[in-house]
Amino acid sequence: MSMNDLIATIKKVLEEVDVVLGWTRSPAAGVAVPARFHTPDEADGAIFDSTCTHNLAVHLPRLKNSKVGIVAKGCDARSIVQLIVEGEVSRDRIRVIGVPCPGVIDVKRAWRCFGFGKKIEDAGGRVHMEGRSMPREEILLHKCHQCQDQEPVIMDLAAGDVKSVTPPPPPDKTGIRERFAAMSIAERREFWREQFSRCIRCYACREACPLCFCRDACSMQTREPHWTGGQVNAIESEMAQQVRTSHLAGRCTGCEECERACPVGIPLMLLLEEQNRIVEELFAYRAGMSLEDKTPLLTYDVNRDGGWR
Amino acid sequence: MPKTEVKIIGFLCNWCSYAGADMAGTARMKQPASLRVVRLPCTGRVNPLLVLKAFREGADGVLVSGCHPGDCHYNEGNYYARRRMEVLERMLPALGIDPARFHYTWVSASEGAKWADVVNEFTRRVKQVI
Amino acid sequence: MLGVFVCQCGTNIAATVSTDRVVQAAKSMLGVVHAESIQYTCSDPGQRAIIDAIQQKGLTRVVMAGCSPRMHETTFRRAIGRAGMNPFMLEMVNIREQCSWIHSDIDEATEKAIDLVRKGVARVRRQKPLQAGSSPVTRRALVIGGGVAGIQAALDIADAGIPVTLVEKSSTIGGNMARLDKTFPSLDCSSCILTPRMVEVKQHENIKLMVNSEVEKVRGYIGNFEIDIRKKASCVIEENCTGCLICQEKCPSKAPDDFNVCAGESKAISIPFSQAVPLVASLRKEYCRLFIKGKCSVCQKVCPAGAIDYEQEDIVVTEKFGAVVVATGFGLYDWKQSYPTYGMGMYPDVINALKYERLLSASGPTGGRIERPSDGKEPRDIVFISCIGSRDESVGRPQCCSIGCMYMAKQAILTKEHIPDSQSYIFYIDVRAAGKGYDEFTRRAQTDFGAIYIRGRVGKIYPRGGKLVVMGTDTLAGDQVEIEADLVVLATGLTPAEGAGQLARRLNISTDGQGFMAEGHPKLKPVETNTGGVFLAGACQGPKDIPASVAQAGAAAAKVIGLLSQEELETSPMVAEVNQLKCAGCFKCRDVCPYGAVEAQDARDGQVAHVIASLCQGCGLCNVACPPGVISLKGYTDNQLIAEVVEVLR
Repeated sequence: MSMNDLIATIKKVLEEVDVVLGWTRSPAAGVAVPARFHTPDEADGAIFDSTCTHNLAVHLPRLKNSKVGIVAKGCDARSIVQLIVEGEVSRDRIRVIGVPCPGVIDVKRAWRCFGFGKKIEDAGGRVHMEGRSMPREEILLHKCHQCQDQEPVIMDLAAGDVKSVTPPPPPDKTGIRERFAAMSIAERREFWREQFSRCIRCYACREACPLCFCRDACSMQTREPHWTGGQVNAIESEMAQQVRTSHLAGRCTGCEECERACPVGIPLMLLLEEQNRIVEELFAYRAGMSLEDKTPLLTYDVNRDGGWR
Repeated sequence: MPKTEVKIIGFLCNWCSYAGADMAGTARMKQPASLRVVRLPCTGRVNPLLVLKAFREGADGVLVSGCHPGDCHYNEGNYYARRRMEVLERMLPALGIDPARFHYTWVSASEGAKWADVVNEFTRRVKQVI
Repeated sequence: MLGVFVCQCGTNIAATVSTDRVVQAAKSMLGVVHAESIQYTCSDPGQRAIIDAIQQKGLTRVVMAGCSPRMHETTFRRAIGRAGMNPFMLEMVNIREQCSWIHSDIDEATEKAIDLVRKGVARVRRQKPLQAGSSPVTRRALVIGGGVAGIQAALDIADAGIPVTLVEKSSTIGGNMARLDKTFPSLDCSSCILTPRMVEVKQHENIKLMVNSEVEKVRGYIGNFEIDIRKKASCVIEENCTGCLICQEKCPSKAPDDFNVCAGESKAISIPFSQAVPLVASLRKEYCRLFIKGKCSVCQKVCPAGAIDYEQEDIVVTEKFGAVVVATGFGLYDWKQSYPTYGMGMYPDVINALKYERLLSASGPTGGRIERPSDGKEPRDIVFISCIGSRDESVGRPQCCSIGCMYMAKQAILTKEHIPDSQSYIFYIDVRAAGKGYDEFTRRAQTDFGAIYIRGRVGKIYPRGGKLVVMGTDTLAGDQVEIEADLVVLATGLTPAEGAGQLARRLNISTDGQGFMAEGHPKLKPVETNTGGVFLAGACQGPKDIPASVAQAGAAAAKVIGLLSQEELETSPMVAEVNQLKCAGCFKCRDVCPYGAVEAQDARDGQVAHVIASLCQGCGLCNVACPPGVISLKGYTDNQLIAEVVEVLR
């Protein structure tokens, strides 16, 4: 895919929508940042590369009254589908532009390696920054390893050949997921206590999540109902996160935005990935795969349920 | 002070399991003094977060019991509850809570003896893992 | 201003729970200004003490620690209502059924009782005054099942001027009683006493009779049920048929004779018996040559009334009812698999007692002559065996059939009357004859009619030289017994009628371990169920004899009449409500509501949820489905439940 393909597609979509959600390059940070394109001139700044990590679907519920175009990676498309299934987004008000995604990188980790704010370039399967470089696959977000959803499940137009991308490699087996899996239940208790002792209750996880659309009513923050108190400590913060996790059961598409957004690096996806795995195991269901789906915890199957134990 | 008795929170639906527990009581079926029952209209009213909240507040075990699937007073409540509770139970290890401390089951209004068995058995199980 | 009242319930509670310590502990709980222990809170002086305390101390919330709320919640709501309080500012804490009665250690039980009171205090502190609503009542009753119980209930309700629809699955009313020859202990002719009642049903201006019909779907709630009834196609136009029986005579397709328990043979088109109500033929397609082979139509050709319609289709009728009486009766336990040593049904002369009843009956297939099925010979030695599939843990059926002892005695008497030189032997476990005149009756069977009673079970039955050898034990004499019988009659246990479980689920009522429908309370609510407006009559609730069935039917009718004589019913105020200011309009609540009680309403920023209070039944499914919990179930709010959990673990 060339940038010209993308820009041309956005311009075409702009003929029938009010705004297109996409990415442009931040001159300051050197990486992609979300952008709203209202005019063809603005669209000239559109880019797509492996720093386009953000799930732009998070903006859709707030644009309920506009016709919106959205550039979507395969994973983002699942969030869009889930939003439509839940009635938060109406299908006929959006145009989805699919992009071929080679996997997106963990920008925070790249900056830790190369230094903050440097322009990151992705070429020839390597990530380059001021003369230094490393293989892209070593710095991908976890979700991109063994990604099953490169081809967007919902798409009106494609910018480039969305089927052409090569599957990314399997993940490094020495990461936090493997360590967590090997822990005893008591060790996990300690693990979470330690992790959540760093939580500052900033709710960035919720803000980044496309499916956390309760706005001002979010009970993590309002403490109404009283699931959690207002104190910023490990116990209350963990409970607050359990509230969010529980609300995402059968809805989370695994976009990893909550974890990416967390400023203190709490591995929130350990919980959500496990919950998604359980939901798939029980109900053979992955959220955001089909417009006809019913969210599994909002329905039941008399004949098949209960054979679990 | 040594802990002699565990504390278990029971979330019981009014129509089946609460009535079953009453029946066990009327028949004087002895049970350990571990259980504290919270009465609800239906297991469909049991928010998984209530279970997590109970663990967080120090419950040694949490028991959820309602009408048998197919016999819900509200037709469908326990079908939803069954899904919610199954997901919850399987999530507990990741949250660092021993799933042996949680149990969900179905006891009808006429199953007083079964209710006593459930309480006895679950209390024994919780004592083993606490 | 919270008051705590701790009931001693005589010694029921006070023997195991130190009510004084509970009172002391309650006094230190947040918001409690009054706590006392009362010997019997439900008694008149007890209630007066509560009312006095409310009025003197200006209490606004009350915790009652005592028996189960399922027992006395209404009693105490009324009491505090009389004291001028909102009746819903009450929380009952169960320290009897779920505490004093199941524990023996006073310290443990008292500590638990204190925890429970603390939980109740926390909960009622967050309770808001609620106002009960009301809904209009549909003045029409549905009776399901046309046996003697259903007939009695329908007539009693109809006599009170209330319209009744009586739904019967088969083609005639009468049920099992219509199959009986005589009834114990008076030896009344069964059809002589039943037939007039059947005719009365047919003629009653307030009764609409629907045969060949079944309840298919039930919606709604007490006072306002909406029920789909499927009337199955019988290929006979009911209004035209005169019951002349010409079709049955000419029909070439043989079919099993269900009414006679297959003691005889019937036809594909038939009227089960000559007193049937309505006296209308029905065609069973599964046996009819026309429907099997595509060629026949004899009945249509011979019918003088033009009543045959092969194209007839099922009709589903939807009607509104205020109350339902279930009177689906019983079926017979199928003994063949469970008692393999009795021949598993291979010996034609081992029959169940209902089939024997048909052989005794003058209206039966043999015209009242007792002929054994194998060769049509009149038997001389007849063995009756009791408790087949009842009081037998080894086949998982512990309960007593409650009529076997009596009808065995009756059948022994009738046998002697039919065949004076016959000899009846009755293997029994105990003779249970507790009804009025019952014990005398079973003794007469022995003294006046020569029946020989042998206490013990039968181990094996096998054929030998045209007879059946019955090998059993006489546990009183300690001997093995061997009887050469011509006929063996089994007193099989009773089961719920076929399809009763399915009907129970449709009506949302519970069943017991054997599948019989569960009454609301074993003593105080014998005809009610856990679903308001649904009542039980007869053997659907458990095995019982005719007088008990009729009595229960009358009681159920009285309950229905009482209910339907009200114009409006109070509805529970514990329904869901939405904080629309915070609703994000995701409608997960609407997705899970079993009653369609959630609707969308336009708000400034899109749509928000709204609860139709008259449809909401208060299950709380929506409350859990709502992520921010802005739809909440009144009386069971998240914060109330959270407070209970937090306080009980404190």
